[in-house]
Amino acid sequence: MNRWHKSVGEIQARRRPVVECERGQAALSKVTACYQQLSSFLGSNSDCSRLREELEETRAMAYTICKGLQRRLTAQLTEGELPQEEREELERLWVLFISGLEIFQQDLRKAAALQHLFPLNQRRDRRGLLNTGCVGGGSGVAARAASVQTPWVRAEEEPSPELGAHVLQLDGMAQEMLQKVSVPFWSMEATQEAWPEDGEDQPDGEEAAAAAGAALEVGAAPEEDRGRGCCRNKRCRLGRVLCLLCVLN
Amino acid sequence: MTIRTNRDHGQHYRPRMACLKKLEAMVVEMQNPKGGVKSQEQRLVITTIPHAMTGQDIHAWIVNRLKFTAEEAQAFGTMLVAYGYLYPLQNHKKLVLKPDASLYRFQTPYFWPVQKWPADDTNYAIYLAKRNIRKKGVLEMYEQEHYNSLHKWMNHKWDFIVMQAKEQYRAGKERKKPDRVVFDCQERAYWIVHKPPPRTFSAMDYGLDRLIDPNEEEKKTIDYYRRIIIYIQQSIMRSRTKSTVSLGALVKFTTTYKNHDPFLAPCLPSNPWLTDDDSYWELNLPLVEIPTKMRVERWTFSFYELLNDPRGRTDFRVFLKKEFSGENLAFWEAAEELKWGTAESMKEKAQTIYKTFLAPGAPRWINIDQKTMDITVKGLVYPHRYVLDAAQTHIFMLMKKDTFGRYIKSPVFKDTQKKALSPQEHNFSDSQLEQNARNRRPGIHPILLHQQAEAEKAKVAATGGPVDIKQLRRFKAPLSHLALYSAPCPTGQDDGAWPPPSPIRSFSLSRGRHRRPPAPAPRGEYRSAAHRRRMTLCLHPSASPARDPAGGGRARHPARHSRTKARPRPKTIALFFQNGEDDSTESRFDLLDEECRDAAGVTRQEVICPWESATQQSYME
Repeated sequence: MNRWHKSVGEIQARRRPVVECERGQAALSKVTACYQQLSSFLGSNSDCSRLREELEETRAMAYTICKGLQRRLTAQLTEGELPQEEREELERLWVLFISGLEIFQQDLRKAAALQHLFPLNQRRDRRGLLNTGCVGGGSGVAARAASVQTPWVRAEEEPSPELGAHVLQLDGMAQEMLQKVSVPFWSMEATQEAWPEDGEDQPDGEEAAAAAGAALEVGAAPEEDRGRGCCRNKRCRLGRVLCLLCVLN
Repeated sequence: MTIRTNRDHGQHYRPRMACLKKLEAMVVEMQNPKGGVKSQEQRLVITTIPHAMTGQDIHAWIVNRLKFTAEEAQAFGTMLVAYGYLYPLQNHKKLVLKPDASLYRFQTPYFWPVQKWPADDTNYAIYLAKRNIRKKGVLEMYEQEHYNSLHKWMNHKWDFIVMQAKEQYRAGKERKKPDRVVFDCQERAYWIVHKPPPRTFSAMDYGLDRLIDPNEEEKKTIDYYRRIIIYIQQSIMRSRTKSTVSLGALVKFTTTYKNHDPFLAPCLPSNPWLTDDDSYWELNLPLVEIPTKMRVERWTFSFYELLNDPRGRTDFRVFLKKEFSGENLAFWEAAEELKWGTAESMKEKAQTIYKTFLAPGAPRWINIDQKTMDITVKGLVYPHRYVLDAAQTHIFMLMKKDTFGRYIKSPVFKDTQKKALSPQEHNFSDSQLEQNARNRRPGIHPILLHQQAEAEKAKVAATGGPVDIKQLRRFKAPLSHLALYSAPCPTGQDDGAWPPPSPIRSFSLSRGRHRRPPAPAPRGEYRSAAHRRRMTLCLHPSASPARDPAGGGRARHPARHSRTKARPRPKTIALFFQNGEDDSTESRFDLLDEECRDAAGVTRQEVICPWESATQQSYME
């Protein structure tokens, strides 16, 4: 059928798998980032059973997203009846997904080792936790992780495996994927620019972070020259003014 | 992730880092609120962050707990910081424990160093991208370089890296502000340990990867037990020395070298690794004009030390030149060159060495016993790297027992000793140390050093013995000058240094101490007609008195091999390597005085290398 005769709905339906996969990849990134932040609490004084539960939940979420994304990507790429651009996009997502799996697996291994090293079964184990200076818990991060939704319908729910088994399962998943579909891994080119900026930040967070960042160097010896090109001069100045106001108050 | 194709028998495992587990146990003890280090609060502009410690508290705790001295405790503390279990809050790049009021904090276990898993490049890229996203232009020069190279090499997952960096940044913002500061400090400390700034080193550096996973328990199969049995059998078979003997050797070694060990005695002027001032290295360059007193003292410890130090070797060479007995050292150096040289040059080197040092009547004949000479020459038929080992050892022992003692008492050495300088010890203040650290510059490139060394060697070789001008004019090639064979005309010929292997060489004849009428070499059999190429050699009469006893035996040889009784006429070895004109040999022969020739009994005979082919081919082919 002539392309121009297709209805909008049909085109959207055609694009849906790709869009789903993209959203799945974004969700996976979010969840793995949250997992990393949470696991940095392990072994420190803000480690508690609540944190470990949150870790488990995040991991389960990551597991479902991984499984679903793998299934969809493999299905799409092995079917083979895709137009060129969509195929390229899916291959790009493939490469990103496998890279994400690698990083996630490393985090899982580390978390498993740390949970083994600092068991929280008994009360006296809490004495072994390190005082690292973090007083807050990971609840904010966990909430962010929990807010992630899979872009597809949650019909297929498998129970997520144990931590150790999960690590091995990721290995198997990656090997399986690499064997099923042959995608030239190293030939992908980046679409993002080399020195990206984040466009999404809110003003409050930015200033506080800038002030805190300046505070990092309190009492530091004079440092070597840095290529410190401070952009967003307006904001910085504003931040300093606000900071002064806070101090004065 | 790639398909597991690691079926190669390569090395993929990091070595054991047993100290990490022990340090972890120590750190857990340290942070114990009851018995651990006292913690205080760090005051920042907007917040206070708890759980900071001062360096002196940490130091005092270590001294107390481990019963160390102050220096040992400081070294231990610095190790803790260098491995990343503690990080400094001020001057985060210098990973040292300062036992004063500077603040430190414990690193969270997520960022502890692990033996099994190296720090990942992808994570580093994400970290750098995250920092750049947070604040543009905050990356340092070396970080920017890393970032660009990672962008090039990880281009295929760059989208993932950027996406993940943004997500991590946003996830980090969910935390409270002081926690964010702490996490940033932690992450930064982690990456300074694992990807150190330039011209610092990381405690996580190790040499090579290992073949076997050190964490894996070896299965006790038959092969395992077989291996263990062989190992134990071999260790039983080994010869043992009495403990008094070995301990005595150890004590002797330590007492001799006690003052030269940079750990036990201070380096003069100062240890460059500690003070970032490299005058120590400048003063101790391999071929420096004036050595330091410590270096000269080291030469007196053993002959091996003298030879190993290039400056010592040059000094020794100067001494030997004065004594006209440089052939031993030259042979030793030639043997070293053969040992360490390329496989292609080995045949050629073996030939030249034979012709220069070992052949009967060679210009620089070395004095080794018959048995060793036999073994060596036999081995030279099929030369390999270690064919000269026996001879080299013998010569080494000879030099050690005889010449070394004379060298130490000689005016050459005493002169060097007098001239040697003893630098003043540096006494840097803290600010000067920081300035030194800032002004660190990379040293001379090793390739330049190597080129300088080669140039030195060539210069030494070129300034070999004095060259006969007449010969030069005539043949336009570096020639050895002619020896005067008759006893009453000694000339001050000096030994040339061993020239580097090159087709055109200049040899000078080494003079024997006693001028004797030339006797044919003991090995007359090499002169039999059966197997040789006819070559000629510059030969000189017997070099040392030790040969005289053999002279009696040799005198018999002329009777048997009449053809070989006379010595070959003088001729340069260089002719081997040029398209020699055969007629020149005749004319050179004529150059010799009639009387000299008669006195020397020189006839047109040739020395043959025993391994040359049987056919009489011209060596010009």
